[in-house]
Amino acid sequence: MSTLYRLLTAALALIGCASLAITGEIRPVMSISGLALIPGYYRFLRGESHAPVIVIGLLSIVELVIFLFDAVAISGDAFLAVAHLTIAFQALKSFDLKEPWDNLQVYFVSLLQLVIASELTNSLAFGVVFVVFLVVLVAAMVLSHFMKEGRAETASVKGPVYVVTVFTLLLTTFLFVVIPRTTHRFIGKSYSRGMHTTGFSERMDFVSFGNVKLDPAVVMRVEMSGDLSGPFYWRGYTLDRFDGLTWQNDLPRQRIRLRKNGDQFISEPYDTNRSVAQQIYLEPLDSEVIFGLSQIKGIRTDLYSVMQDSAGNFFIPGKSSRRIRYAAYSVLSDDLPGISDPRYLQLPAENRKIAELAREITRNERDSIRKARAVEAYLMKNYAYSLSVSSPPAGVSPIEDFLFRSKKGFCEHYATAMVLMLRSIGIPARVVTGFIGGDRNAYGGYLIVRRSDAHSWVEALIGGRWKRFDPTPSVSARRPQSVMLMLDSVEMYWARYIVGYSSMDQQALVEMLGRLFGSGHTAGRAKEAPGTFALRHILYSALGVTLILAVLIFVLRKKYRRRHGPATASYLRIRRALFRKGFPITSSTTSDDIVSLTAGAPYSSSLRQYLDRYRRRRFGLQKDDSDIRSLAEQVIGEIRSSARSRKK
Amino acid sequence: METVLQGKGGVIRMAIVALLGRGHLLIEDIPGVGKTTLASALARSMDCSFRRIQFTSDLLPTDILGVTIFNQETKEFEFRQGPVFSNIVLADEINRTNPKTQSALLEAMSEHRITTERTTLVLPEPFMVIATQNPVEYHGTFPLPESQLDRFMLHITIGYPLAEFERRAILRQSSFEILEDLQPVVSRQEIVRMQDEAGTVFAEDSVVDYLMQIVAGTRNHPEIRLGASTRGAQFFLRAARAYAYSDGRDFVLPDDVKALAPLVLGHRIIPRARKSIAESEALIEEIAESLPVPL
Repeated sequence: MSTLYRLLTAALALIGCASLAITGEIRPVMSISGLALIPGYYRFLRGESHAPVIVIGLLSIVELVIFLFDAVAISGDAFLAVAHLTIAFQALKSFDLKEPWDNLQVYFVSLLQLVIASELTNSLAFGVVFVVFLVVLVAAMVLSHFMKEGRAETASVKGPVYVVTVFTLLLTTFLFVVIPRTTHRFIGKSYSRGMHTTGFSERMDFVSFGNVKLDPAVVMRVEMSGDLSGPFYWRGYTLDRFDGLTWQNDLPRQRIRLRKNGDQFISEPYDTNRSVAQQIYLEPLDSEVIFGLSQIKGIRTDLYSVMQDSAGNFFIPGKSSRRIRYAAYSVLSDDLPGISDPRYLQLPAENRKIAELAREITRNERDSIRKARAVEAYLMKNYAYSLSVSSPPAGVSPIEDFLFRSKKGFCEHYATAMVLMLRSIGIPARVVTGFIGGDRNAYGGYLIVRRSDAHSWVEALIGGRWKRFDPTPSVSARRPQSVMLMLDSVEMYWARYIVGYSSMDQQALVEMLGRLFGSGHTAGRAKEAPGTFALRHILYSALGVTLILAVLIFVLRKKYRRRHGPATASYLRIRRALFRKGFPITSSTTSDDIVSLTAGAPYSSSLRQYLDRYRRRRFGLQKDDSDIRSLAEQVIGEIRSSARSRKK
Repeated sequence: METVLQGKGGVIRMAIVALLGRGHLLIEDIPGVGKTTLASALARSMDCSFRRIQFTSDLLPTDILGVTIFNQETKEFEFRQGPVFSNIVLADEINRTNPKTQSALLEAMSEHRITTERTTLVLPEPFMVIATQNPVEYHGTFPLPESQLDRFMLHITIGYPLAEFERRAILRQSSFEILEDLQPVVSRQEIVRMQDEAGTVFAEDSVVDYLMQIVAGTRNHPEIRLGASTRGAQFFLRAARAYAYSDGRDFVLPDDVKALAPLVLGHRIIPRARKSIAESEALIEEIAESLPVPL
């Protein structure tokens, strides 16, 4: 076994375990066995003997027992337990690498670890580890192929190994990094601190000022059933407590887990025929909140739980670091049922001027709904929308500054001002944050919601229902260029059919195949999420992969041929022909050995003539291929027609 | 030469390979199978000066290299050349003398010159040392130091002749008489020319790689304490070229490399367990057998 091959095996095992380690999800105690990799592979690289069979056997049993305990009691999660098991396996295997097959086991388990890790994280570090893994794996596989062919020790192997590895790296970069991320992920997202960008967060504050940048990064993509018209209010989160600078929500302790009914988490029983399904691909946000059109009744997702709080906000368990996918089923309405709560009347300490203004505006109105409409209309009419807000003078709160001095601001100012005014006159109100609208992408027939679509509006509790008000004047949005839309649709397809291929799709596929082949079993299913799966997508991808593989094989073959020319090719064929006749031809058999082995055979003289020619061509200075092939054909013919094998 | 040493074509060929590769030859075998005869026959077939040094336990370096003596007539010190100043030097039973005297040959063998006191003297070309030795297990021998062993290109054994040839050998006249009858077949200039030509034999990259792998194999083998040196690898390639040349080819085959490996490398390695050179050669063969031949 060559040193390079050993090195690659060790690298793969370490990368596999490292990929799990960087997710931060595995338990340190359960993965402590991974430390054994270091002495294990140290010994392996130095070519020291492997551990005794009995020890390995006993440890394997211990490993399995621990795994069972782990799955049932310690982690209580089969997925994590498998992750821990793979680490223990790698550690054990590092002491027990005897045959080439053992190395392949290591490759396989490393791959498994990568797959598990990809479920646990989506960090950039994992991306890097994945690319490294891929390069090392390809190199190891190509090398192992050459080893199998008995050619690993020659320098000529290195060329193909490098070529294939680099080619794969480029191809992978293109497929996995460039296509899905070009438009937004790495380039578009702004992490810079100190600059205020639009977007969503679970707090809202008026601490920083200056120009607010419109961040075009995509937040979510939505496929909707039916032909609905906007405006779409993608309701996310409610804010109820304001201290003059910051809005917060005091409800987080009161979330309840939704029951699962069939394949949906149900908030409230609803009439499926009246509901609107939204298939949502939500990009990672620094939040547990999920979005949907009001009012969400049911959510269908692969996640293991969904929670809801008393304000009708929905949450996933934990902030997701990768794109999640869910279907929200909503019965559309502009208001929600609700009960009054003192928290929705809370006001910041200094609110006198705002209260005066509110009373002034609503002086002529009698009932709550009219008062609220009056405030909404007043804000919409008298204030200018602007993303450029200067810092208020000392001692003036940002909202007072907006209302009485600068008279310009963006949705957060409008919504905050309206809530404060409504609360001042005794109407319970809260700020709602989320997104509004979205660009319809004609190429994919879905909506793109961007960070720049972030919005906040107002809900006021009037007559026992939370009614929606939006005091922000609408602004004309610039349309994105069609190239960007087209690229985005590629990303959407990627997310939809490759990355996000889930059990839901499998079900859909089965149903579609069922329909295709006329089976009646799947007729009675409930309304499906939009975007039904198309068989041609599978066919196209399969075709693409086959094409790529074919090109790869072609390039490899070409390379191999050019390197050795027809002389070697013909010599290999003759060796194979002799081997089939029972001659003990191994990789260390030389041409002289062949001469002595075949002495006395009817074709020995022509074989010797050929070998002479071959040697001259291959090892001599003569570079003429003219007759070598015909000579080889003749010899092969003679060998094949020779009477019988002469076993030695 | 075949007339002197019948049935030993392979051995003779190796002797010629060592000569063409500008190397030195170490012949090791039990007494009485024709070591000295082979060396003498090789020397006599060429039109070259030939000296024989019988190595004994009391031999001194000056007995080999020469000695500076005071000339009474000219009143000057003058150097009197020792037996090493000839084309073919037969160092007979080299392991009978002590290492000090053995080492006297070191510079002569590697650089074809000797240094005594202040003068450096160049040896005649071609220059070749043929040493014979008895297996180290025998009484009254000093094993050759590794540095000395490394300077021999090839290490060969002769072995008992086949029964048929042995019978002839016993019946015919004494081999020394035949030796007397041998006529030179090549001149000194021709030998030098052939040596030059053998040095230009083409070795394809993959063949050189193969050779390097075998050398590397001796360094990584678990049963070998010390593998072959870089000089060993140089000798190996030179021997392979000479071998190909002696076969009438102008290019080296992997076959040449494989065939020569045990003879070139066998005496250069130090196995972990104490073993004879023959067993070392078996180890080398094992290494060569485990490596794929370039196709």
